[in-house]
Amino acid sequence: MRQFFGSSRQGNLREAVQGLARPQFIMLFSNDGQFETHVKELENYFPGVPSIGCIGMSYDTRVIESGVGVIAFLDGISATANVLEQVSVMPVKYIRRMEEDVRKMEGSQQDTVCIDFCTGNDACVLTTIHTALKSRNISLVGGTGDGGRVSANGMVYEDAVAYALVRNHNGRVKTYKENIYHQMGNYRFIASGTDKANYILGYLNGQPAKQVYQNILHVSEEQISTQTFKNPFGKLNGNDVCIISIKEVKGSALACFRQVNDSDVLILLELGDYRAIVKETIDTIRKDFPKLSAVFSVNCLFRYKLFSEQHYMEEYLKEMKVLGSHAGFVGYGEHYNNRFVNQSMTCVVFE
Amino acid sequence: MLFQKKNRKNKKEAPRKEKGLYPVLYVINVLKNYQKELVQKEVESLRELGLVGSSFNSVLGEADNFQQKLEDFEETFANITDVSGQFENVKEGITDSVLQAQKEIEWLKTNSQQVEGCFDQMENTFEDLKGSVEKIRQCMSSIVSIADQTNILAINASIEAARAGEKGKGFAVVATEVKKLADEIKFLAKDVDQGVYAVESGTNELNASIHTSRQALSHNMEMVDETRVMFDSITQAADGAIQVQTEISHVIDDSRRALHILRGFFDQIRTQYQGVVKHIRNASHLGTTKSTMFEDVDNLLSQIPPVIREEEG
Repeated sequence: MRQFFGSSRQGNLREAVQGLARPQFIMLFSNDGQFETHVKELENYFPGVPSIGCIGMSYDTRVIESGVGVIAFLDGISATANVLEQVSVMPVKYIRRMEEDVRKMEGSQQDTVCIDFCTGNDACVLTTIHTALKSRNISLVGGTGDGGRVSANGMVYEDAVAYALVRNHNGRVKTYKENIYHQMGNYRFIASGTDKANYILGYLNGQPAKQVYQNILHVSEEQISTQTFKNPFGKLNGNDVCIISIKEVKGSALACFRQVNDSDVLILLELGDYRAIVKETIDTIRKDFPKLSAVFSVNCLFRYKLFSEQHYMEEYLKEMKVLGSHAGFVGYGEHYNNRFVNQSMTCVVFE
Repeated sequence: MLFQKKNRKNKKEAPRKEKGLYPVLYVINVLKNYQKELVQKEVESLRELGLVGSSFNSVLGEADNFQQKLEDFEETFANITDVSGQFENVKEGITDSVLQAQKEIEWLKTNSQQVEGCFDQMENTFEDLKGSVEKIRQCMSSIVSIADQTNILAINASIEAARAGEKGKGFAVVATEVKKLADEIKFLAKDVDQGVYAVESGTNELNASIHTSRQALSHNMEMVDETRVMFDSITQAADGAIQVQTEISHVIDDSRRALHILRGFFDQIRTQYQGVVKHIRNASHLGTTKSTMFEDVDNLLSQIPPVIREEEG
C-alpha cells in the first residue's frame, strides 16, 4: 500500500493531483469557496474511484491552511465510500447503506478501517456508525469538517457523514489516539444539568460548572475559553479519557465543543510534556509496525493552534514523518471508534 | 332528565381505530422519560459511590496511619530491647568494679592483718622493754642501796678516821671522797630513775596509742568485712537487674508477638479495604462506561421519532 499527498495553496486541484495515478481511494480537503467545484473536478479526474471529502486544512510535512489537499491510497487496498444523511436528526435512517458496505467489504478488525468526515452531531453519528461496524469490530478514525458539507463519490452533502471502508490486503491496520493531557489533581466530577443539544455542562458535583472551573484554576470568566488549551475536561469511559474542550461561558454553565450528558464522569486535565508524548506515540507505532506503509491522522484544530503557538507544528510534522508516509487533516473534533473527542490526535496505521 | 341521560348513555361512540406509528412514538417517549430517570438515578448513585470512595480512602488513610503507629511501636520495642540490653553491659561493669574493689579490700585486709601481727610483735617488744626497765629500776634501787651503804660506810670511815687523828687523816679524805662518790652515784641513779620513769611513761603512752590503733584496725577489719558483704549485695543486685532485664525482654518479646499478630490483622484488613476500594473503583469505572452507554441509548432513541414522523408524512 502507498499513500499519496498532493496540495495546492492556490486551490488548483490539477496541481494537487499531479503525479497521482490509479488511486484506489481518495480524500479531498478543500476550502469553503471551492469545495463543490473541487468535488466535481476530482470525480472527473478519477471517475468511479471511491472518494470522500470535507472542508479543512491538510498536511504532510507542512500544513495547507487554504487551497486544496489530496490524500490517496494506492496499491494493495480496496475501498468503498458512502454517506449517511440527515445526521443532525436521524443518521440511522441510512444505516443499511453502511451495513451493506461492511458486508461487501468482508473486512475485519485486523485489516479494515473506517474513515469518516462529519458535518456535526458527531456523538450521535458515531453511536450510529458503531452499531454497524461493531459486528466486525472495525475501527474508525475521522473528524469533523468545516462549512457543514462533506462529499462522497463526487457528490456534496449537507448535514451528513461521509465514510469510507478501507481494507489493507497486504497487512494489518491499527488505530491510535494520542492525548497530550493528563489528570490534574484528584478532581472528579459528576456532570448534571446538561443540555446535549447545545453541548451545555450545567453542574459539576451539584455546583455551577463555571464557578467550579474558576475556583480551581483561578481564572476570570474571559480567560475560560482560552484556558481550555491548558485545562480541558476529560470524560472518563472505563480506562479511556475523552477530551472535552470548553467553548464559552453560558450564564453559570459552560458550553463545550462536545456533548456532555448527565451522569458523565469528568476529570480536569492539564497539558503534559507533549513533545515526550508525541515521541512515545511514535515509538509505540514503530514497535507495533516495524514495517509500515502509511499513517493517516486527524489532528484537532486546538492542537494545531497550540503547536503553532509553541512553534512546534513544523517540528511535529517532521517527527511524524520519521514513521514514513504521514498525512492527515485538521479537524474540528476527532473520531476514534465510537468516541467523539476534542484536542486529540487520532490516526490509522497501515502495515 | 333521567331519560335523556339514559339516551346519552346508549349513544356509545365506537373506539377510534388508531392508525400509524403513534404507539411506537408513545413508547419511545415513555422510554426516554425512563431513561432520564435512570440517568438521574445514575447521577445520584455515582455521587454516592464517590462519597463511599472518599470515605473509604479516608478509612484506608487512617488504617495506614494506624499501621505507621504500629511500626513506631515496633521501633519503640526495639529501642527498649536495645536499652535493656545495656543492663548487661552495666551489670558487667558493676561486677568488674566490684571484683576489683573486693580484690583491693582483700589486699587491705591482708595488710591490716600484717599490721595486726606487727602490733602483736610490738606489744611483746614493749613487754620485754617494760621488763628491762623494771630490771634497770631494780638495779638502780640496788645501786642506790649500795650507795647508801657506801655512804654509811664512808661516814663510819670518817668517824673512825677522826678517832684515829692524824693517822686517820688520809683515810678521812678517802672516806669523804667515797661519800662524795656515793652521793654522785645516788644522784646519777636518781637521774637514771627519772629517765626510766620517762621511758616507762612514754612506753605506756605508746602502748595506749598502739592499743587505740589496734582497736581502729579491728574496726577497719569489721568495716572491710561489712564492705565485702555490701559488694556481694551490689553484685546480687546487679544480677537481679539482669533478671529484670530478662523479664523485660520476655515482656517485649510477648508484646512483639502480639504486635505482629495485630499487624497481620491490620494487613488483612488493609488488603480487604484495598479490595473494597478496588471494587469501588471498578464500580466507578463501570459507571463511566454506563454513562457512555446511556449516551448511545439516548443517541439512538432520539433518532426514532424523526424517522417515524417522516414516515407518517
